[in-house]
This record gives sequence, C-alpha cells and structure tokens, in this order.
Amino acid sequence: MKLKQLLLSSLVLVSASAWADPTYRLFVTNEKSNTVSVIDSRTGKIETTLEIGDRPRGIGLSPDQKILYVALSEENAIGMVDVATLEFLGKLKAGEDPETFDVHPNGNLYLSNEDDAKATVLNPATGEIITEIRVGLEPEGVAVSPKGDIALVTSESTNMVHVIDTASHKVVANILVAARPRGLAFNSDGSFAYVSSEIGNELAIIDTTTHTIIKKVVLDIPKSKPMAIKISPDDKTLYLTTGRAAKAAIINAETLELIATVDVGKRVWGAELSRDGATLYTADGVSNTVSVVDTATQKKVMTIDVGKGPWGLALDD
Amino acid sequence: MTKIKIWGLALTFLWSQSLLAEVIDVTIHYVGPTEGSVWLGMQQGMSEANLQGEFLGQTYTIKPVTLDELADLDEVTALLLASDAETIVAVAETEKFNNVPVFNLMSDEDNLRAACLPNLLNISISQQMKQDALAQWLAKHPGSKAHVQSWHESFRKFAASQLNSRFTKASGIIMDDDSWAGWAAVKLISDTVARIQSDDATKMLNYLRNDIAFDGQKGAGATFRQTGQLRQLVLLIENNKIMAEAPLRGVKGGLDSLGLLSCK
Repeated sequence: MKLKQLLLSSLVLVSASAWADPTYRLFVTNEKSNTVSVIDSRTGKIETTLEIGDRPRGIGLSPDQKILYVALSEENAIGMVDVATLEFLGKLKAGEDPETFDVHPNGNLYLSNEDDAKATVLNPATGEIITEIRVGLEPEGVAVSPKGDIALVTSESTNMVHVIDTASHKVVANILVAARPRGLAFNSDGSFAYVSSEIGNELAIIDTTTHTIIKKVVLDIPKSKPMAIKISPDDKTLYLTTGRAAKAAIINAETLELIATVDVGKRVWGAELSRDGATLYTADGVSNTVSVVDTATQKKVMTIDVGKGPWGLALDD
Repeated sequence: MTKIKIWGLALTFLWSQSLLAEVIDVTIHYVGPTEGSVWLGMQQGMSEANLQGEFLGQTYTIKPVTLDELADLDEVTALLLASDAETIVAVAETEKFNNVPVFNLMSDEDNLRAACLPNLLNISISQQMKQDALAQWLAKHPGSKAHVQSWHESFRKFAASQLNSRFTKASGIIMDDDSWAGWAAVKLISDTVARIQSDDATKMLNYLRNDIAFDGQKGAGATFRQTGQLRQLVLLIENNKIMAEAPLRGVKGGLDSLGLLSCK
C-alpha cells in the first residue's frame, strides 16, 4: 500500500489505535485443504496453519493491516483473523459464493459473488452489507482504486470490466475486453488499470478517466492463461501469473513488452509483491507450493510447501 | 442530499450512459423444437446475452419460425437450425441467406462439414470427431465401452461447473450436447455483436469465421475451421462418468486431431 493510501486510511480510521509493527507474515489460502498457511516471509518457514472455514479463496488485509480477511466461498462468508495474535475473530455473511475482494481505503470490502452475478459491498466493522451491485456473469477480479473513488469488477463469462463509482455504487461504465477477464490492478495514482484475460491470453491497459483500452497485447508464452497482476511500487514493472504456463511473467508496465519469465509452480494463480517491490510470491495451485521470486535477479529463490490448491496471498510487511 | 447534488449525480449517470453506442436490437431466427434441451440451452444463452446487453447496449430475441415462414423473410441476422442435415444444407444454400451465419446445432453428419459451405457454422461435433476421439482413447484403453459427448453435466474444468450449475438452476434439467450447442450458438452471436457493434449479417459472418476466440467454457478460445466446424475438446464417457478429454494428451495436432481438418 502506498503512503498516500496509508494517510488516507488513517484519516478515515480515526478510532483505530496506533500502527502495529509489521509481522512479516505471509498468509496463503489453500482452497482444497480448507486451510490458511502462515509463513514467516523473512525465513520462508511455515509458522502455523489455520483452519477457519471451507474453500478459502480471496484474501486481503484491512487498511491498518491488523485484520486478515479470507473469502470462504463454500460458507458464503468472510472469515477474520487477528494478524498479530492469529486469533480467529469470526465470520461475516458475504452474499452467495464470495470469490475474491479488495479492501477500500475506508475499510469496506468490495466482493465478487461468482454464482450470483453480483458485487457486494460489506462493512466488516459492523457486518452490514451496504449494497449489492448487479454485474455480468461469473464476476471474478475486484480492485479498488488507490484513492477509493472507483472499484473495478471483471465478469468472466460476459467479458467485461465494470467500473463502479464508490460514492453512488452505480456502474458507470462497462469495458468489453478479451475472453474471460480475471485479474485487475491499478497503478499508484489510479490513472491506469491493468486487466488480464485468461481465455483471450491478453493483457490490457485501461485509462480510468476515459474508460477505454489504450494498449493490449496477446502474451507470447506457451500455454499461458493470464491471472493475477501486481505492479511495482515505481509503476514501471508488471508481474503476471500465467496459470498452466507455470511461469511468472515480468512485463514492462508502459509498453506491455515481455521482459522475462520465471519458472514457478504448476497452475500458478495468486500473487503478492512485497512493499519494496523486491520479492514476488506466487501461489502454485497444482504444485501446492508458494514460489518466492527475487525481482532484481528475476530468479526463483525459494519454494515453500503449503496446503492443497494454494489460491491467494497476503503479506503483512 | 441537496437538489443540486442529486441533479449532478443524475446528469453524471445519464452522461456516462449516453457514451454507450445506440442500442442494437438483435432478432435471431430459429427453426426447431420449442421445448426440450436445445431450446432451453438457447434460452440460457439468450438470458446471458441480454445480461451482457444490459451493460453494453444490445437486446436479443429468439424468434421461432417454420421453414415456410423462413422462405418469406427478407432480412435475417442469424439463423439457428435444430433440424436434419438435408434441411440445413437447403437453408444454408438459399441465395438470400448466403451471407447470413447459419448455425447447425444438432446434426453430426460429416457431409455438413465436408460441404464447406461458407455460411454454415457447425456447433455440434461431427461423427468423425467422435470416431477420432474414440480411436485415441481405445489406442490406450482397448476394450473400453466409452462413447463421445461434447458436454457432460459433471464437467467441471474451465468454469464448466459454473455453466452446468446456472443452467440447471434456470431450466431444471442437466446440460447435455444439445443444450450446450444451443447456449454456445447464442453466445457466439452476442459475443460477435458486442465486439463489432453491429448486427449486419455479412460483418457478423466474417467476424465469426475469422476473428472470434469464443469462451465456450471448454478451455482455449474456440475458433471455426475452414469446414465451418467449431474447434472444441470432446469428452470420453463411460458409465456416465468422464474418463478423459480428447484430444488425449500427447496426440499430435491438438484440437485438429479430431474430425475433418480442411476443405479440398
């Protein structure tokens, strides 16, 4: 999270107590073993494994990084864990089949409900579902802009990126993209968003002011199915997981030219980037591992065994 | 909220809506049964197409017609046929439909592929595709009693489970080859209209034959062969269980190892 965002969230969360020191814990949802692995990111050692609910997929941290949220798809709920103590804090109703979410700077969760063609806005402090927004079929990726003014949701089976105004909670634009859009990410000032399309094997840049695609490329990586996107802190480099291609792609974020690929595990889906941009983590869904990639040398430096079907990652650093 | 603010919001909303292209109302003509699997598959496709259309500015209607009524129509956007091979050839070869995408939903006749009619798009799988898939399977599993289907209700990969579950929820029946073909044909049409922003038959046919990469929830973006056959994986089924997907792993040619490859 960027400094601006931190300042903004601290203004919003005036009641929150002082910032805690980072735990450097890396949390991993294991979709098929119904667990969350807790890894000490400084050593790569598994610290513990949490059982908080069924089919954990989407994962993220509160703006103050004190609470871990996990989408429990099978339970139609969001599970909450204290990042520092690892104490289980309870579950919140989250609409049908929540798959993934992003956290607004004001603390609200924007969720995609895969089976229900809806996005849900949830206030985790009160458990209140603020609103449900009708979107296309099989909503998947969600990203809230750094300023919090818009949220983007991809609908996989209707090939769109929906732009939601977070003040009115209305869909204000729909952008047709290549088949089966999945991952989304903003650059640091929110002027651009990136979207990956799994079946179209495409990566596109959306201008968030004009709501148009300003650049797109079909990836030249065998078997590639583009999934999660991460952007470096300087906005210059884009990291993309590629599913069956079993590679993390390193891409020039401005030109979308492929710089390098790094071999990671099989069916790589989720990704996380350390705050300093030095380390990329990938969730390797079929290998049941997390790969650790040094972004400077563009090499995998460690493989960590986790549960079955690792899906998503969140790092408290 | 003050009145001015409300007006401001309303104007912002209207302005953003007006950025969308004019609404395109698409009528798809259909010859075939108006109940059962293929029909329900088309209805599913239509409801999904209309959901996409809500956001992008299109509406879709399926109009069932008889062959006689079809003969009287002047302008047609796209034709769906759930009928026998002879009827399909006769309709596709009718001069006024020469530039209209004509979809074969159910016939597995190889002749329809070998005919290489420029406007005929075969969504169902051909006899030869089934034979080729079975031969690949039997080479590894001699004596197996498996048969070949295009779709199965327990198919899960490539988001097939999501399609199976929403179809059964809406229609009350399981998805099979015919309902998948009905669904896929309507979605191929809506995908095309949304992308070319037109329901001009000639432009649609051109896009379908040359440019589409369709997400049929069966893996890689689906395209049409020169023969008008939709490239797709097929399933080997034994005792109502999915044993394998064909092309089998390691078979040369991938999806083109199944069925007639090209026109002479």
